[in-house]
Amino acid sequence: MEYRSNRKLLVLFSLLALLLLSVGGAAAQDPVTITWWTLASAESPEPAIRAVVEAFEAEHPNIKVDVTIMAESAYGDLMNTALGAGEGAPDIAYFWESPWLPHTLDITDRLEADPDLSRDDYFEEYFNNWATWNDRVVGLPFTVGANFVMYNKDVFDEAGVDYPTADWTPWDYIEIAKALTDPDKRRWGGDRPRGPFRAIWRNIGATKPYSDDSATVEGYFNGPDSVAAYTWLWDLVDSGATPTPADIEVLGTEGTGPVDLFIAGRLGMATLNNGHMITAANAGVNFGVVPEPHVPGNERYVHAWALRASIWAGTEHPDEAYEFLSFWAGPEGQRINMEIGALMPSLPAVLEDYPDADSDYFQGFMGVLNGTQTAEWRASHPCWRGAVIRAVSDAWDLIMLGEIERDEVQATLDALVEPAQAALDDCVPRLGG
Amino acid sequence: MLSHWRKMTTQERRDAKTGYLALSPWMLGFAVFYAFPILATFYFSFTQWTLVEPPVWIGLDNYIRMFTRDPLFVSSLKATTLFVALSLPLKLVLGLILALLLNLKIPGMNLYRTIFFVPAVISGVAVSLMWIWFLQPDTGVVNTLLSYIGVQGPYWFWDRDWALPSVAIMSIWKVGGAAIIYLAGLQNIPAHLYEAAKIDGANQWRRFWRITLPLLTPTLFFQLIIELIDAFKIFTEAFVITKGGPLKATYFFLYYFYEEAFRNFNMGYASALALFLLLVIMSATVFVYRTSGRWVFYEN
Amino acid sequence: MRTDLARPELGLTPAQQRRRSAARRRAKRLIAHAFVYIVMTLLAFIFLLPIFWMVSTSLKLPQEIFAWPPDWIPANPQWGNYEEAFTKYPLARYMFNSAILVVANIVGGLVSVPVIAYGFARFDFPFKHVLFLLMLSTMMVPGHIKLIPLFWLYQRLGLIDTCWPLILPAFFGNPFFIFLMTQYMRTIPRELDDAARIDGAGSWGILIRILIPLCRPALTVVVVFTFVWVWNDFLEPIIFLRDYDSFPISVGLAFFQGRYSVEWNLFMGATLVSILPILIVYFFAQRHLIGGLASIGIKG
Repeated sequence: MEYRSNRKLLVLFSLLALLLLSVGGAAAQDPVTITWWTLASAESPEPAIRAVVEAFEAEHPNIKVDVTIMAESAYGDLMNTALGAGEGAPDIAYFWESPWLPHTLDITDRLEADPDLSRDDYFEEYFNNWATWNDRVVGLPFTVGANFVMYNKDVFDEAGVDYPTADWTPWDYIEIAKALTDPDKRRWGGDRPRGPFRAIWRNIGATKPYSDDSATVEGYFNGPDSVAAYTWLWDLVDSGATPTPADIEVLGTEGTGPVDLFIAGRLGMATLNNGHMITAANAGVNFGVVPEPHVPGNERYVHAWALRASIWAGTEHPDEAYEFLSFWAGPEGQRINMEIGALMPSLPAVLEDYPDADSDYFQGFMGVLNGTQTAEWRASHPCWRGAVIRAVSDAWDLIMLGEIERDEVQATLDALVEPAQAALDDCVPRLGG
Repeated sequence: MLSHWRKMTTQERRDAKTGYLALSPWMLGFAVFYAFPILATFYFSFTQWTLVEPPVWIGLDNYIRMFTRDPLFVSSLKATTLFVALSLPLKLVLGLILALLLNLKIPGMNLYRTIFFVPAVISGVAVSLMWIWFLQPDTGVVNTLLSYIGVQGPYWFWDRDWALPSVAIMSIWKVGGAAIIYLAGLQNIPAHLYEAAKIDGANQWRRFWRITLPLLTPTLFFQLIIELIDAFKIFTEAFVITKGGPLKATYFFLYYFYEEAFRNFNMGYASALALFLLLVIMSATVFVYRTSGRWVFYEN
Repeated sequence: MRTDLARPELGLTPAQQRRRSAARRRAKRLIAHAFVYIVMTLLAFIFLLPIFWMVSTSLKLPQEIFAWPPDWIPANPQWGNYEEAFTKYPLARYMFNSAILVVANIVGGLVSVPVIAYGFARFDFPFKHVLFLLMLSTMMVPGHIKLIPLFWLYQRLGLIDTCWPLILPAFFGNPFFIFLMTQYMRTIPRELDDAARIDGAGSWGILIRILIPLCRPALTVVVVFTFVWVWNDFLEPIIFLRDYDSFPISVGLAFFQGRYSVEWNLFMGATLVSILPILIVYFFAQRHLIGGLASIGIKG
């Protein structure tokens, strides 16, 4: 009897086990598919993207990654429409626009519970500025980007000018640029900033075009620091040591003019980024890297960015999506991109293995990465990037075209306070401060 | 309509039914591809919509802002109108001149016809980049050639007064597309009319004014409308080359729409802008259409 | 009277006068021809200069593109650039995709346009004039307006990331083509219809057997213009397609513009190759094209 009941139990157990097995088996046969939208670039080219998927799927046989490689020009429109429609958005993507942030999945707890990955593995500034929002972790910073000044050593040597050092000032920049300029060779000493309120603006002291609470323009955009920064720009333009927008845009419409001229040896110094740095290195240019100049006494800022790799809040497979995100934007995925493409990983331990890590220029670049970043300002203000900068762009244009005198800078900025305020008042209720 | 239908004969009704049947694909397409998007845009124009979050009804606010306190609305409308006024007459006249040349019956004309058509079929970013290089103030071909005859060329895209004409020049480069339609019109003019005029002793100049031009007015009318619509939709050049600058000289209306809709997360306002543009184009077209009775001559 | 006095031939015999004036006319024509050739060649040179520069850039090394002074003809032409462009991105595949889209759109146009135009050209029914104007007015709608609502619609229908959004509209008739075809059909005498009707053909039989064959020039316009438009279309493919392998060539070219740099030489080379099919089609079709466009000038 006892024996019998044991047998019954055994049968029951084996049946149960069979059932469990078959369910588990079905799960194994029927993998979860997650969708991933990404972009191909020189740093992260198509083969690297495919290799990441392949390596991940080999590690996780139960997860399939459906990758879509897009044209960059279409990416923003597609994300907008998909997020707006509330469906059809990818499980994983770059969520670089701030209006997309509310649609990211909060991965704070997942990252904390992750035994293999921690926020300390990343460059601290990059993680704080690009992966967190409202004290939540909303993604992982993929790659690192920064602006810095690249100088062509051959041009400096030829002109007999000393290489710039990290403690240089914006006015040193103008003097050096003048010394390097050679009109006969159509060579300019240095380029002009590509827009106001970037790192050099901060380094001169002008922090923001409007108040911290996004309410007031008066006294900020036309305040003394801002006037000083715009006056510096006026001096730079007036020096004749920089190419005009027409010279810079001779072919480049997407801001590629400076690097094109730099590589051609027609620009002694240029404020460029690490993508350009690789292009120049590949072209065999003999160059060095210094941080952007700053005013002694002020903190030095670096204009920096990372790509925010996030999970869509509407995903049906958050666990699998996190598995993939932490692979792709973690050490493995970024390493694959570094080895196949030319990606600069946002993880110091991986970046150390960069092929050119010992070179002179790369050492300069590592120095730049340690600066305080302007990112938090740039990232959170679509109003600034869109409406307000458009309202005040006349000041920029007038100085660039050389149409105002040096002592008219203040009046020019004053005149634009009103339209800037109107643009701000219209934008902030819509997109926040 | 029903009473009208009742008055029709059986044959007329059958004809009407076939007519509607033939039109049915277009009517369906109209409903889906035009009526629906425009109605949706009409609705969005009363909302604040960031695209990413659901639209919020705000009544007439977008329109009030547009008409009372948006300097960019005014300046972009002005830039667009200026562009239309500048490029349209030039394109019509130069297109006609080119077509008259291409209509000469001399050997090898087919090749020339293809050559002048090339610019009209190339599009995309490469063309815009080519123009940037072409009109570059210091090193560009145009200013280099001008310097040979002792003329200091302007700064083209980088000058507040020349940026807009530069964009117009770009559009005139594509005049071959218009010329081909003129050419078709020219070849449609019966040869016997010219023979008769020749016998009457009319010289070429007179023949052009008395025969060619009047008989070409229907083609001209068509071209005028097509080019008018096209000119109001100017966008790509501002998008690729000038970014609306300098000093908003080329901040065209559709570019403004695009910036608001897809860059500034302001789809509601952009919808209001788009509808306004549609209204402007329609009014301009209707105006041209109204005047056509006075200057368009049809044969017979 | 005055013209007679001015004539030096006065006083010659009529036969002498005739011979002399014939020789004079020949010489005059020769000079005129030479003059036309010179003008046309000069114009063609100006029109093609930008293209020539694209060719030159496509054969340069990266560091030569921005060298000063610029070289018109690269010292060491890099023909390998073309190969590199085509291996770096699947451009051949993209051109093939474009070709498929073009063919599908042409089929759509050839099926829908004659039917719709037939309705407008041959039948009378209430509201015909209004519908015709409505059809024409859809030409005025800027493409951008339609994007968001249509994206929403296609999403609902599950058509995003398929080629249907790029093909379907063609099957509902393009207004420009409908207008053109309607005009063209109106030039075909109704007597032909009546004759066929007496022979027992129905309404649709007349269209297929009588009208469509006679409309060949207008259909050529549909084919060639569809080719050009679809081949160049950029806006819709980037919104409605997603798959890396399914892009048309217009989108594929955009890959050469990276985030940090543009591969100018490859970009220009790829652009040049991408327009070749259009030019070939145009060169061979242009004679028929002109015939097809001629009906634009008839009374609507």
